[in-house]
Amino acid sequence: MRKLQAVPALIGLVAIALCLASCSGGSSGKEGGTLHGTYATPAELDPTVAYTAEGLTAMYDTYLPLLTYAHADGAAGTKVVPALAESLPKITDGGKTYTLTLRKGLKYSDGTLVKASDFAATIERVFKLNSVGAPFYEESIVGAEKFARTKSGGISGIETDDKTGRIVIHLTQPRGTFTNELALIYTALLPGDTPAKDLTRDPPPATGPYAIAKVEPGHGWSYERNPVWAKTNGKLMPDLPAGHVDKIDITVVRNKATSVNEIERGQSNWMQSILPADSYSKVKDRYEGTQFRVEHPINLYYFWMNTSKPPFDDLKVRQAVNYAVDPAALERIYSGALVAAHQILPEGMPGHEPYNLYPHDMAKAKELLAEANPSDRDITVWVDSESPNDEAGAYYQDVLSKLGFDAKLKTINADVYFQLISNSSTPDLDTGWTNWFADYPHPNDWFQPQLSGKSIAPIGNTNLANINEPKLTAKIERLGGETLGPKQEDEYAEMDREFMELAPWAPYGTNTVSTFVSSDIDLDKVIFNPTFGQDLTSFQFK
Amino acid sequence: MEGRSPWYLAYRRLRRNRVALAFGGLFLAIVVFVLAAPLWANQVADTGPNDTHTLEKVAVDGETREVVDPEGKPVGPLWLGAGGKFFLGADGRLGRDEMVRLMYGGRTSLFVGIAAALITTLLGTGLGLLAGWYRGWTDAIIARALDVVWAFPVTLLGAALGLALAVGGLRIGPLHLSGSSIWIPILIIGVVYTPYVARPIRGEVLALREKEFVEAAVSQGAGPLRVMLVELLPNLLSTVIVFFAISIANSMLLESILSFLGVGVQPPNTSWGTMIAGGFELITSAPLLTVVPGAMLLLTVLSVNVFADCLRDALDPRAKLRLEAHAGIAEPEGTPV
Repeated sequence: MRKLQAVPALIGLVAIALCLASCSGGSSGKEGGTLHGTYATPAELDPTVAYTAEGLTAMYDTYLPLLTYAHADGAAGTKVVPALAESLPKITDGGKTYTLTLRKGLKYSDGTLVKASDFAATIERVFKLNSVGAPFYEESIVGAEKFARTKSGGISGIETDDKTGRIVIHLTQPRGTFTNELALIYTALLPGDTPAKDLTRDPPPATGPYAIAKVEPGHGWSYERNPVWAKTNGKLMPDLPAGHVDKIDITVVRNKATSVNEIERGQSNWMQSILPADSYSKVKDRYEGTQFRVEHPINLYYFWMNTSKPPFDDLKVRQAVNYAVDPAALERIYSGALVAAHQILPEGMPGHEPYNLYPHDMAKAKELLAEANPSDRDITVWVDSESPNDEAGAYYQDVLSKLGFDAKLKTINADVYFQLISNSSTPDLDTGWTNWFADYPHPNDWFQPQLSGKSIAPIGNTNLANINEPKLTAKIERLGGETLGPKQEDEYAEMDREFMELAPWAPYGTNTVSTFVSSDIDLDKVIFNPTFGQDLTSFQFK
Repeated sequence: MEGRSPWYLAYRRLRRNRVALAFGGLFLAIVVFVLAAPLWANQVADTGPNDTHTLEKVAVDGETREVVDPEGKPVGPLWLGAGGKFFLGADGRLGRDEMVRLMYGGRTSLFVGIAAALITTLLGTGLGLLAGWYRGWTDAIIARALDVVWAFPVTLLGAALGLALAVGGLRIGPLHLSGSSIWIPILIIGVVYTPYVARPIRGEVLALREKEFVEAAVSQGAGPLRVMLVELLPNLLSTVIVFFAISIANSMLLESILSFLGVGVQPPNTSWGTMIAGGFELITSAPLLTVVPGAMLLLTVLSVNVFADCLRDALDPRAKLRLEAHAGIAEPEGTPV
């Protein structure tokens, strides 16, 4: 009798345990194992020089800045959270002084202690290596501009105390985006004696849950669990995930179709690159929801028009081009991976309010061009050689030809494209293709580099349209000093329209990327951070 | 009895060679096909080679079909279902007419092939003549310069030059070629193949300059230029013609490789090489986009190569015999040719 009573009780306990296990979510799935991933191109494996999507994904769980972005999808992933710092910065002196404290006892993967002075050395290394991230700090931190020139003498605006772990940063003027900029990968702390050279072939010691154990240049690299994470760093940063797999092997597979096949055959677990156009719809139809998911990083694809020289110095010409470009056609050229948009701020960016000032109307475009009647119709259209951007360029060239321009297409290898179009000495910079991915989810990161008159530079120009509208430049500067809130978001939304009325660009859409994993990976758990892409700590075998 | 010129004899030998006639005819047919491009584009397809039709629809036997579907897949061959429009389908997500591009692409490929072969032949013959005739320092300088070009694999050198000239173009004195000019790949191909013609020509000149007719011309007071142009060049002509024909095939192949790598013919201009590159991305869903221009290239190169081979046999039948003897299949000595 007692036995009979015990059986239902046992069944009940097991049921409760199972229910608890499934409801908690975190405990299901295997821990450990080796994740095999593929990249289409090698990534930068040095946080100071990492700037491509490949590099950011590779660095996210390996090198930690004082602050980082929450390990979460979508809007939640845009939140800045403390990493090596104990808390978010204390901002004083009217927004000009940022004070942070390093968590005590943190170690690098080689066992050395993380020191506050490493932060100063890391920022100095950013300048010594002429990192893509240097402009974020050059004008904002006191003494950084001088250090960028001399590469010696330290940065006077950074005070550190190794004993207390206190880090004080003095800014030249209030900067509303500085907290975001402290979470960029360029500021990930490295030992103070790290050589000032690109260490992609021999990555420096890590602070994150994974450390790069082996690099085969051009062929791949592998991660192992950071030996100091479980005992030290993980305990000091309990909010950061430790990761599920023990090892991650990355292989560079240039042919994306091969990567797709390897995942389908279970030889690989994940591909970092976007799917090839040929396989996109097939994979989406077959695996969406189980192994495939569309992701939405914050980005914009657009055609810029050089407003500083004919024929695009004429507003009517630029408006005509905006009416002539049809984002719907470009959606198709991007095989459905692009979401049409015809404005400055993309979806996902604070301040984004959808509108369209220039619905596709070829007749109106021709009418406007007839009114403008530009004398110079001989133009060069620049585009990079990556598919389908090259096809977007060919489409744009055809549109301009139909409008009555003598448009010549100049297709440049993607490796040097941006270097060329950002150099004012390059001849015939009339119009062309570009894209922009958010460094961090803040509208100032959009307007300031791409549309402020102050960003026009002879080399490394990011204002490709060369638009210099003093009122709007002043507005960008003012808003850049303020902390982002609803009022500022409204002003950014208004500025979006103000710029589109000037039509320096013909925006056509935001590109989606995809997460495609093998059947033994739990897709639901894979996190896609809007800034860093797939979070390696979130991959787990079923 | 009236004597027959060696050219007439060569013509007769060529005319009797059925393989030569078949492949020569095939080459001519391809030339006619590509020359008819504007006719097909204007009268049948009603579109240009670079006109995009991404969002357009086409009526096929009463049914309306999208040129490019929402997932970016182009319409396949419609043959005559749409009155000849999109005969071979659309070329990709831009929805350009594949047949029209194939014909125009063939014009470009043939033009590049012939123009580059001309440059190779002229440069190679000129340098070979100079090196072989003057010998000494002239020969040494020319030979070393050719060695430098020869030291690099043809494709690698072509790709490197193409990449370097793609942006700023080429500026030599008043001559300026923009990076997207078709003359850039033509010049590159013409130059990188020059040593392959100059070396054997030099060898032949070295042998010819010792012949009695050359000595006779010199003793009669003929200057170097006259000897080279009047005495040596006519005797090199059969070799030069064969090299020219072979160079066409080689140049077309290199053009397609360079265009495939993105450093040859620049978009939106089309060549068979750019078409193969463009279609490669859709190789599993639309294989014809790669196969058709690839097949056209294969047939053209094959026809030129086989015809050049037959031409060599016709111009210099002893060369064939020497080759066969080398291979151990020569007929017994004394067999009439």
